Amino acid sequence: MDTELNLLVYPQKPLLMTRTIELVGYDKLGAGQNATVAVMSFSGYDMGDAIVMNKASLERGFGRCTVMRSFSTKLQSYEYGIQEKTVRPCSEGSDTKRMQLDMDGLPAPGEIIKPGDIVINKQTPKDTWNAFGNRGVEYKDTPVTFNGLGGEPSVVDKVARFSDFGGICGIKYLMRQTRQPEVGDQFSSRHGQKGVCGAIIQQEDFPFSERGICPDLIINPHAFPSGMTVGSMIELLGAKARVSVGGSPYNGSAFEESSGGADKVEEICKELVKKKFSYSGKEFLYSGITGSCLQAYVFMGPIYYQTLRHMVMDKMHSSYQSKPHQLTRQPTYRSDQDGVRVGENERNCLTAHGASMVIFERLMLSSDVTTIEVCGVCGSLGYYNRRSGKKICSSCQKETDISTQKVPYACKLLIQELQSMNISMKLKLAEEEINDDLLNHVAVNEF
Amino acid sequence: MEGKSYQRLPKIKIREMKDDFLKFELRDTDASMANALRRVMIAEVPTIAIDLVEIEVNSSVLNDEFIAHRLGLIPLTSERAMSMRFSRDCDACDGDGQCEFCSVEFHLRAKCMSDQTLDVTSKDLYTPDHTVVPVDFSDPAGDESAEQRGIIIVKLRRGQELRLRAIARKGIGKDHAKWSPAATVTFMYEPDIRINEELMETLTLEEKRSWVESSPTRVFEIDPDTHQVYVVDAEAYTYDDEVIKKAEAMGKPGLVDITAKEDSFIFTVESTGAIKASQLVLNAIEILKQKLDAVRLSEDTVEADDQFGELGAHMRGG
Repeated sequence: MDTELNLLVYPQKPLLMTRTIELVGYDKLGAGQNATVAVMSFSGYDMGDAIVMNKASLERGFGRCTVMRSFSTKLQSYEYGIQEKTVRPCSEGSDTKRMQLDMDGLPAPGEIIKPGDIVINKQTPKDTWNAFGNRGVEYKDTPVTFNGLGGEPSVVDKVARFSDFGGICGIKYLMRQTRQPEVGDQFSSRHGQKGVCGAIIQQEDFPFSERGICPDLIINPHAFPSGMTVGSMIELLGAKARVSVGGSPYNGSAFEESSGGADKVEEICKELVKKKFSYSGKEFLYSGITGSCLQAYVFMGPIYYQTLRHMVMDKMHSSYQSKPHQLTRQPTYRSDQDGVRVGENERNCLTAHGASMVIFERLMLSSDVTTIEVCGVCGSLGYYNRRSGKKICSSCQKETDISTQKVPYACKLLIQELQSMNISMKLKLAEEEINDDLLNHVAVNEF
Repeated sequence: MEGKSYQRLPKIKIREMKDDFLKFELRDTDASMANALRRVMIAEVPTIAIDLVEIEVNSSVLNDEFIAHRLGLIPLTSERAMSMRFSRDCDACDGDGQCEFCSVEFHLRAKCMSDQTLDVTSKDLYTPDHTVVPVDFSDPAGDESAEQRGIIIVKLRRGQELRLRAIARKGIGKDHAKWSPAATVTFMYEPDIRINEELMETLTLEEKRSWVESSPTRVFEIDPDTHQVYVVDAEAYTYDDEVIKKAEAMGKPGLVDITAKEDSFIFTVESTGAIKASQLVLNAIEILKQKLDAVRLSEDTVEADDQFGELGAHMRGG
């Protein structure tokens, strides 16, 4: 069973071919769809390579994909033939609702499993040293729960039992989900013009031509100078001519126009004019919102678009509190359960805003704040002896003028790590210069 | 609401009418009106479409969601939709689809018993209600075309089976494109083309010909006898500016003056077959009226302020 599969629901043949595509048989195993693309600015949600998509197109199946992911659970076997086992789901109790399973404790293909539901009703033996085999062994429930694909309900596609060479048995199950594109999903033409979906807009708000053509998606013209994808424009023209004239697709192979291996843009444009299109591929559009004409002609036509596998559903995560890192005591940034990092760029941004208190709060208070005892005499770290209630400097070996300070735990760690390498770091403390005016100001504010 | 009345009396002239196609002129109104009509036709005229699918057996190659999505997109005859209720507003039922006011039930049972591939089409959807059925695309003339078999849902191999129950509900295109009755709704401004005859006469026949041919669509023609250039089909003009550019290139700017008439529109409406194209327009007007009534009713009330915010003051004529 494949661990991950991403299938396009309605794949299409590309409207513009190249020689390599024919050689590799890309036309026989389509990986994208021919989207009618309008190259224009729309709504502002198309900045920085983002694309605006037509809601009706998406609902009719554009970009729709089936995501399948396989999971496996091992059934541990112990000595004397004792084994973990799957059992029939319980018919009463609090777990019944979470357990839509067959009598063998496994889900049936076609069953919808919600996140948090039980997929395998497994039991584990309580003691594995019972020499009498399976008879008389007591089991406890160790059900396997399903966390969902991206936290959304999924459908069971396939369930299989397996055993590997070590004789370990287990269950593999393939979960399936059909996804309609949403804001944040990534798409790309065949020219590396990738972009995330920035907005999904109703069909009636989309621009339309007097022939009734309404684009499936809108890309920003700024994508062309930065991407330097002339091929993208040639594809649009070639595909537009192909779709209006019919017949075999135009050949868009690069650098082969002179040798006759590819069709020339000039010829393609002539075909466009024959079908009453503008030779430049531009069209006269009306605003779907006001009904008035758009001020400029819009370059519009089909471009083969692929739905990429980076989907927000799999990536989106947030957290209120996560387990801190053991050594530095700072928040972690590794898994789905962790939060979003205020990284260097974010810190620089806050610095630029002069939001020093935000930096202080994010990087210290909400991170790894700790209190240390600093000796006023020698500047090294001391400690608070709870039994005697005394603050002692470990360097001076006695009670000195010690003050309590708040520092990031990572800072304290650094001091101690340096110490372990025979570098003594001293903290020089000074009395804070208190501005009387400021103090008065604060006092006025407080009362 | 004292003051000048801006009321206009728009006129409609129908040019071509078929069951699923309508071409008409809308005159004496402005773009806001024409566009409102277009938008309502696409997004707010209700139809009936399959909304809930319960799959009993599916051993076909397509998965359940796939088939459900395909079923949803099948157009159903929806003459009844205007008088039906949305299942969310239906008091007679709890929204399970067993209710005559808001839903229609379909059954599909198909199993392939032979070695030949079985096409399961929209014609296999069975419903006791004869008013709501999958749209029949077959030609009334009755020739055995491919479309006569209906819309293919899935293909079955020997031994494969599909059995399901589907509930169709009323809805609008705004919620999901499957409820949109419009395949194409578009309009264009009627072009107003004026040839500067004086300047035109300064051209040679050869120049005239090349100028006429510069238009990608056939808008102008030359009279074979008088060699006069005349407009043969103004509406063929696609506002492409090609002839104007050509005139400039020939050193005769102002040879032709083309403007869009601000108050005449030529509409093209194509229906999915759910309702007739003509009915689509009528329903759209009806819905537009209902929407305006809702505004008018709440115009002077206190609720209007909550509902429309700052707009409320505008509507009271402030």
